[in-house]
Amino acid sequence: MSRYDVNVILYKLKKDAAFRTRFQVSPRAVLAGADLSDEEVEAFVRWDTRRLNELGGSLHLLVSIPHLGGH
Amino acid sequence: MGKIVYAAAMSHVLAPDYYGKNVGPHGRKMVEELIDVVRDMGRTMLAARPDALVVIADDHLNVFSFDAVPAMCVRIGRFVERMVQADAIEFDRALDGLPERYPLHEDLANRILERGIEEGFDFAASWSAPLDHAFLSPVSTLCGARPAPPLVPFWVNCFVAPLPMARRCFAAGRHIARVVADGPWDVAVIATGGLSHFPELSLARVGTSDAAFDRRIVRLLEAGDHEALCALTTKELHESGSHELLNWMVLIGAVSPAAAKVRFFGEMGRIDLAAMEWSVR
Repeated sequence: MSRYDVNVILYKLKKDAAFRTRFQVSPRAVLAGADLSDEEVEAFVRWDTRRLNELGGSLHLLVSIPHLGGH
Repeated sequence: MGKIVYAAAMSHVLAPDYYGKNVGPHGRKMVEELIDVVRDMGRTMLAARPDALVVIADDHLNVFSFDAVPAMCVRIGRFVERMVQADAIEFDRALDGLPERYPLHEDLANRILERGIEEGFDFAASWSAPLDHAFLSPVSTLCGARPAPPLVPFWVNCFVAPLPMARRCFAAGRHIARVVADGPWDVAVIATGGLSHFPELSLARVGTSDAAFDRRIVRLLEAGDHEALCALTTKELHESGSHELLNWMVLIGAVSPAAAKVRFFGEMGRIDLAAMEWSVR
């Protein structure tokens, strides 16, 4: 259920400021325990929003994450 | 015997600064024209002196998460809060300054929920979900400085697959109409969102809309062709980016067989904006 996990991470990035800060400092460490494929991890680390969207990431989460999202 | 005394649907990002920044001067001008129309609609709505205002809208993963997304959800309780979120997205920041708490019409909400369960609509119930721009941008524009009628917020899942079917949303609206008819209250009903934007929920396609699809929808609404609207598939709504038409389908069910009167329709490029009323009195 990677699609679920991709979106759980995105939701935490939107709602949890401390988690978001840790992600911005050290994304790979933050994602270490998540059930993500290598491709998904790399998309997060690069913050490649189009790829995350293609991998099932919700558009509405991707555009609304403070300091990372936006149109 | 209760009745629906006012019914309307409108786009729900009524924020000139947002469209000015993301689309440009013509986007700002178009939404300002729409806001003027919605304000006028609000005068009509409040003149009907509704005891309650049912607001049918969707969540943008502000309230519900991928842990659980109800197909449809009734907000119950006595009050509802405006969503407050640090670093909120632009069009939710536009809600700053609005009242932080709104009264709910507890009895009508409970009847919609409980009779719904009895009659086969497995609505979810929320005691705590706050309201984002999808609810409060239209409500605040309709009501201005006047107090809003007690609200009955009703969520439809428009974005997290699998979505409820258009026909099922229409049926939920018929249910709401029956509950209103059997109750003692005069009720206003609005649906919000749309029209086409974010086709296929694809980030690569942000900035485009499917105006041809929306022109067809407007014709069907004006003609009162509700069967054709019920026959819309999730695939069609997804491809065209008209996901939020599901909110409108609940309203259309509530007012059927009435036909819509178009108060505003504008093709912005990024989104098609609209406002419509139904003659229900």
